[in-house]
Amino acid sequence: MPPDISPRPPSGPPLDRVAWDDLVARFDGRMWAVARAFGLSPADAADAVQGAWLRLVEGLGAIRDPDRIGAWLITTTRHEAARLSRSRAGSGPADEVADVPDPSAPDPAAAVVDADYGRQVWRRLDLLGEPCRSLLRLCALHPEARYAQIALRLELPVGSIGPTRARCLSRLRALLEEPS
Amino acid sequence: MTAPADEYLLAALRIAAGTDPVPDRVSADARSVFALHLPGGIAAVPLATAAGEGARSAQPHERPRAHRYAAAGLTIDIEPVVAAGRVDVAGQISPAPGAGSLVEVRTPHVSDSRVPSEGGRFVVTGLPAGWISVVCHRPGHPPVFTRWTHVRP
Repeated sequence: MPPDISPRPPSGPPLDRVAWDDLVARFDGRMWAVARAFGLSPADAADAVQGAWLRLVEGLGAIRDPDRIGAWLITTTRHEAARLSRSRAGSGPADEVADVPDPSAPDPAAAVVDADYGRQVWRRLDLLGEPCRSLLRLCALHPEARYAQIALRLELPVGSIGPTRARCLSRLRALLEEPS
Repeated sequence: MTAPADEYLLAALRIAAGTDPVPDRVSADARSVFALHLPGGIAAVPLATAAGEGARSAQPHERPRAHRYAAAGLTIDIEPVVAAGRVDVAGQISPAPGAGSLVEVRTPHVSDSRVPSEGGRFVVTGLPAGWISVVCHRPGHPPVFTRWTHVRP
C-alpha cells in the first residue's frame, strides 16, 4: 500500500504561515519530482511547482479539508506540468476554465509519489527484462532525454520508444499489484 | 485506488534515487507564495474568450492571448505579451471601477499598480516572465483578483 501523505493537522488556524511552511517542507520535493518526470527543464519544472502553490493560495479561503491538501498539491502539480509540457510541444495551453483540480477530490493515486514506495518500484523494475529495465531507468533518471537519444542508447527504432515505454510501464504496474 | 499515472511512478523512482533534489530556490519561492494571499479577496472566475478579443488591438502576427475573468459584478480582461523577455500587460476593468480604484498587476516577486483610465483601461510593462495575476482594488469593496496565469516566451 502506498503511504498516507495527509499533512499533519495544523496547530493554529488552518493554513497559517507555520502550516504553510510545513506543507512546503513535506511536499515540495514530491511536487518537484512530478514536474521533472514530465521531462520539463529545471526552469519549467520550477514554474509548474510554483503554479501549484499559487493555485493553493488563490483558493485558500475555500479550503474545507486540510487533510487532502497534500494529494491535491501533487495532483495540481501534475496538471500544471502537463499544461506546460503541452505548451512547449506546441499544442497550446489547455483550457484554463476546467484545468484546476477540484480541491475536494484530489487524485488518490498521488499517494505513490513517495521515497518508500519509490524503493518498492525500483525493486520491481529490476525484475523486468530488457529493454524495459534500461528504458524505464533512462526515463526515470533522465526525463529530459529525447526519444532519439534513448533509441540510440538502447539500439531501438525511434518510433518504437513511445509504445515500448507504455508497454513497460504497464508491466511494471502489473508487478506492483502482485503481493510482495 | 486507480492505477497511478506514468509520471507518478517515474516521480517515485526519482525521489528514491535521490539524484535530483528540489532546488533551494524552488522551496524558497514556495514559502514566499503564502504572502500573496489576499484575505477577504474574491477570486474572479476565468471565462472563455474569442481569439484576438481583448483590451489591445493586436496585429495579426502578434496574436496575444486574451484572458477574461468575472466576479462581484466586474469583468477583468487582460492581454499579456512577452517582449524582449519581459511581460507587458494591457487590460480593462468593466464597468470602469471609478474614482479611488487601483489596479495591481502581481508576479510572485514584484507588483506594479496603476490608476485605471476613466474607461477602466490599464497598462503595466516590464514585468518578469512567469506567473501574473491582476487585482482590482475599489474603495469600500473587497479586492477582486484573477487566477494566476503563466506567461513565458
